[in-house]
Amino acid sequence: MSICRGTSLRVDLTYGKVEKSQTPDNGIGGRTWNSITLMNELKPGIDPLGPENILCIAVGPLTGSELIGTCRFIASAKSPLTGILGDSGARGFFAPELRWAGYQQIVFTGASDRWTYLFIDDDKVELRDASHLVGLDITETTVQLQDELHDPDLQVAAIGPAGENLVRYSIISCNLARAAGRTGMGAVMGSKKLKAIVVRGSKPVTAVDPKRFKNTCEQFKQRIEENDEFEDRHKFGTTKIMDELAEMGVLPAYHYRTALFDDLKKVNGTALRREHVVKAKSCYNCNIYCSRYTYTKYNEGEGPEYEAQAGFTVKCGNPDLELAVAVSNTVNRLGLDCISMGEVIAWLMECRHEGIVSDAEVGDIDLSWGSKEALLRLPEMVAHREGIGDLLAEGTKRAAKQFGEEAQKLTAEVKGLELFSADPRGIKGYALMNAVNSRGGDHYRGEPSIELTGDEELALKRTGNRDAAHRLKEEGKGVLVNYAEHMGILSDSMTLCKNISCCMVDVIGFDFAAEAYSGLLGRDIKAQQLWEICSYVSQVEREFNIREGLQPEDDTLPARFVDYPIPDGPAKGTTIDIDRMVKDYYKEKGWKNN
Amino acid sequence: MIHCELRICVGCRMCEVACSSFHFGSVTRAMSRIRVAKLESVGLEMAIACLSCLEKPCLECPTTALSVGDKGEIILDEDLCTSCQICVDACPVGAIGFYDHLPLYCDLCDGATSCVTACPSGALSYIEDHRDSSLVSFLQTDGNPNQKRANYVSVQGEPIREEWKDGLRVDS
Repeated sequence: MSICRGTSLRVDLTYGKVEKSQTPDNGIGGRTWNSITLMNELKPGIDPLGPENILCIAVGPLTGSELIGTCRFIASAKSPLTGILGDSGARGFFAPELRWAGYQQIVFTGASDRWTYLFIDDDKVELRDASHLVGLDITETTVQLQDELHDPDLQVAAIGPAGENLVRYSIISCNLARAAGRTGMGAVMGSKKLKAIVVRGSKPVTAVDPKRFKNTCEQFKQRIEENDEFEDRHKFGTTKIMDELAEMGVLPAYHYRTALFDDLKKVNGTALRREHVVKAKSCYNCNIYCSRYTYTKYNEGEGPEYEAQAGFTVKCGNPDLELAVAVSNTVNRLGLDCISMGEVIAWLMECRHEGIVSDAEVGDIDLSWGSKEALLRLPEMVAHREGIGDLLAEGTKRAAKQFGEEAQKLTAEVKGLELFSADPRGIKGYALMNAVNSRGGDHYRGEPSIELTGDEELALKRTGNRDAAHRLKEEGKGVLVNYAEHMGILSDSMTLCKNISCCMVDVIGFDFAAEAYSGLLGRDIKAQQLWEICSYVSQVEREFNIREGLQPEDDTLPARFVDYPIPDGPAKGTTIDIDRMVKDYYKEKGWKNN
Repeated sequence: MIHCELRICVGCRMCEVACSSFHFGSVTRAMSRIRVAKLESVGLEMAIACLSCLEKPCLECPTTALSVGDKGEIILDEDLCTSCQICVDACPVGAIGFYDHLPLYCDLCDGATSCVTACPSGALSYIEDHRDSSLVSFLQTDGNPNQKRANYVSVQGEPIREEWKDGLRVDS
């Protein structure tokens, strides 16, 4: 059964060959195509940083259409950080441009022996020499390519020094700061000696049933504007979350040692707007335009989103917001994942606090909480693999092994992927999502945000279980996470911004998505069909991960969250029975425990 | 003319989507008569459509395919146009597109100004009774239309960047 297919570019980097092909016939765009491609074509057990890895970049049929928020591309490969499925999406303007060039997927195989970049101008597709770009950061690379190709409107997705140096949590970024951030897709690109992808496209996206599609687009715009989250999202973007997490008692202050951060008001979304935000910014075709441009005495750039904001302040015990904003901009330029980088620094600071690691061991860098020296120097050292940076570039799971068992106990990662800036113990749906989803410790796979609403009727409607509406209940979380996971796959296939589809609670459902596909494709697509494809792809990803050695016991949280309650604050005393919730989830999926 | 307030524009390109959709029933940037120049490394972005300038260098069309309408908009006689693109290159701010063998001018959507309606930030407005402003200082700008748009925004943005440097913030 084929709902939609698109043109897939096959780029063999070993032989420098480019061919056109078709996307797999059993997906609905984006992540579904990539996961199916990897399952079908990737040889099991290969080195993620070797030439046998396959890097897929996909958009979807709706990308670059009139539907708000369809601005993402999904980069997928076997992850060098986790050893299982890696994938990550980036917003911005690259994805629609790729769609307009006429391609819905690029599949990179092999590896080049010289640095190269892929140039796409509609039907003209070429691999070009990139030796002059080596060592440039993401901003420099982008600007250099736009300058030398005489087109400031060119869309560029690039890696920075971190990707070149195979940092296991390096990113692919477009529009300077919109990153496919998680699971080290930048390192896979770097291992193939592919510095950038440059796109210019001019082909239209046309709905087969324009009236129906336009109607859907207008309704969607209205739904977004009427959503309870709209005003705050619009004003603060994701930085609004910090106050909310503080109220819930799930701030990860001082690397999860306390849920209280005395200087919250100095580092929250309001402070950011007051001190550093000079203007609002948007991704492609979005009426929320939730992003921000920031200006500091150190540097300037787009961001930070909540994760970088919190990762470099609360989590590291740093009350200096300006420093954190500057670090966020630097991390973006270097091509590092801000979530993993923040976690690496915060974990190291906790190790030092506990006397497990000394400043001397890391090259005489001050690792005390909030250390300016650590925050400014460590990202540079990691990106260039200098000194201790070489070890930290491997991610916390690998790095902790070098520092011994006590250091390992302090890590906050699942399957090797570092956790977000929130305490999973007090948001149990998120905890379960982190434990079981197919790319490791991550909240954004599909946000079980219904649990934050307390809206039992909504929970009942979407998951069949009223308990799913309450974040502190362990009941009902299997169905909730399964639903959120489906929503995540759907969003990653529509290439819809998940800050809209998954965070603005119930702004879109499968029924509405089906209407969008129907209008665009000009035939009736049923919600149930989309749901089944998402179920199928969820299963494909599970099988892929099992093929790569995933064990059921990997579906868990670090012991520090399971064995100890939240020590203080509004959620004080909250513990988590993760095994029980995982079982509940397995039951929902129809999986066996062993 | 369509005016874009550089301080407010968020660079979302909803104007381009609306323009392309209104005129062609499809969406792609190349079909849009209004284009957002994005200077991402300095945080500036701005939508540019025909500014209805005093100089109107585009009117030096060798086949006289272009004329000025009563709202100041440029009117193209498609039968006379030879697709030479002299007008495209003549515009000092790169406000003329080119698609499917024809130059693309802002035609104010026959009064509907779909980009203004679509603009979520309120950066775009339709100025009906404007006095033609001069683009004389941009007439010698080198480069292709995309570069000229970027140049225009870069120049317009200089005072704004000075304000940022002096501490002006979105909430101040």
